[in-house]
Amino acid sequence: MAIDRRGDPRRTAAPDRELLSAADVTRTVARIAHQIIEKTTFGPDNPDDLVIVGIPTGGAVLASRLAVAIAEFTGVAPVVGTVDPTLYRDDLRRGPARPLGDTALPDGGLDDRLVVLVDDVLFSGRTVRAALDALGEHGRPRAVQLAVLVDRGHRELPIRADYVGKNVPTAQGESIVVLLVETDGRDGVALRRAAESAGPGS
Amino acid sequence: MTGPALLVLEDGRLFRGERYGAVGQTLGEAVFCTAMTGYQETLTDPSYHGQIVVATAPQIGNTGWNDEDDESARIQVAGYVVRDPSRTASSWRSRRSLADALEGQGIVGLAGIDTRAVVRHLRERGAMKAGVFSGDSLAPDAELVDRVRSGPSMLGADLFGAVSTPREYVVPADGETRFRVAALDVGIKSNTPRMFAARGVETHVLPAHTPVERIEELAPDGFFLANGPGDPATAEVPVALTRQVLERRIPLFGICFGNQILARTLGRGTYKLRYGHRGVNIPVIEHATGTVSITAQNHGFAVEGEAGERFGTPFGPAQITHTCPNDGCVEGLALLDAPAFSVQYHPEAAAGPHDAADLFDRFVDLMENGKGR
Repeated sequence: MAIDRRGDPRRTAAPDRELLSAADVTRTVARIAHQIIEKTTFGPDNPDDLVIVGIPTGGAVLASRLAVAIAEFTGVAPVVGTVDPTLYRDDLRRGPARPLGDTALPDGGLDDRLVVLVDDVLFSGRTVRAALDALGEHGRPRAVQLAVLVDRGHRELPIRADYVGKNVPTAQGESIVVLLVETDGRDGVALRRAAESAGPGS
Repeated sequence: MTGPALLVLEDGRLFRGERYGAVGQTLGEAVFCTAMTGYQETLTDPSYHGQIVVATAPQIGNTGWNDEDDESARIQVAGYVVRDPSRTASSWRSRRSLADALEGQGIVGLAGIDTRAVVRHLRERGAMKAGVFSGDSLAPDAELVDRVRSGPSMLGADLFGAVSTPREYVVPADGETRFRVAALDVGIKSNTPRMFAARGVETHVLPAHTPVERIEELAPDGFFLANGPGDPATAEVPVALTRQVLERRIPLFGICFGNQILARTLGRGTYKLRYGHRGVNIPVIEHATGTVSITAQNHGFAVEGEAGERFGTPFGPAQITHTCPNDGCVEGLALLDAPAFSVQYHPEAAAGPHDAADLFDRFVDLMENGKGR
């Protein structure tokens, strides 16, 4: 049954629909950590290969959480870094000036290592493409894999994630709101209906 | 009723969780079971005697504990480790919760640890000695690791005597009795006599140290070697008995431990697998037909051999008839000129798929041919 809500105030005031609770986020991060261990064979016998690189800000928070979980499960802590893709974006000149994030990559460099790139939401794929270019400035990894908390579809580039927390079919106008304790005071993922949204949509 | 509990592995790895079931200390071999369902059958399976079982299925206990599904008189595992125990039991057959059943039988358990990490550790390092500690048994970590290391080893463990019946008993056939089988109880599961009974077979379940004279007295149509726990290299008494049974050309069928006993009787060696086969969805290829069955399995030891290999024995040529495509490990063998065959998996399948139930029919056929001779 279709409901025409044009002009209906509820249309813009539609509440966020919760996709992942705080407990779900914790469990999903733990599960992705297990998958990374199993797919990369990271562990005490192979501690130097893996570098986990987050895209600020959500991806960077998730990268450090994944590293903590991986350290807990294997007894060895993987190397963590961040990479800011802003200056490599293809839409850099379109919008207003935007703040730069941090780029902090390990001393050992990325050459011949396995990089797991982490972001909170995978949407058009343009952020990831920019991050790949940014990584290229810092070395030549053996391989790059991608981990995301939410894959919301609508890819505009041939990019896919190796590790997905949750696949969420969305409409173009919707946005995904990812909240993390470190930056927002609580964990959660929600779907926002309204066109204009406050959360990080990427 | 909560409190800390600890899973301690021989190599010093520790997992901290919550107590579950009984409180105290238990030592055994840490193994994992990949079955998604049927934890009651798993816990009461005598082949798990002396083992601390880690469930790979994250949520355990949702169907509670009933009074019908036990595979033996009691819970056999040394300890039980789960991720997320169900707070309520929802099944019309349930009589009590799994936690109550564990506590009532004094089985020390542990909940709330990341079992996926434990299982990966056991897969990489192999099954190893372990202990679960809670309540007063908790002590500094180093002391607990010492206690685990001084615990019993599964290699060389003679356990079948501990789970065998103290005295003989008979399970009657359903309806007309067509055959009589002598079953050597080295850890038999209660579903096995049920499978026989459904085929008109009366089962005489015998203690593990039964002499051959008793079997001659019974004059059975067939001899059955049951499943069971421990290292088959310790099974000298059952091996000697099996030799005498083969010499008398009594049709023989063995499963699991029985497969290993038959193999050792035929001069084959057995060895300890790194982390064993334990679950209800393990594939087996029968090489004569190429058929794959999905089977219930529970074995930490295996028979030496290659797929389809033929070898000479004092009872004529024998052949490796079944292997597991996952790792090529031997899952069944048969004598070619004598009425004897065995499989490493569980055709009685409790809990598990019923793909392999026709093996009981084959045994019945074997007994039928034996009678005609």
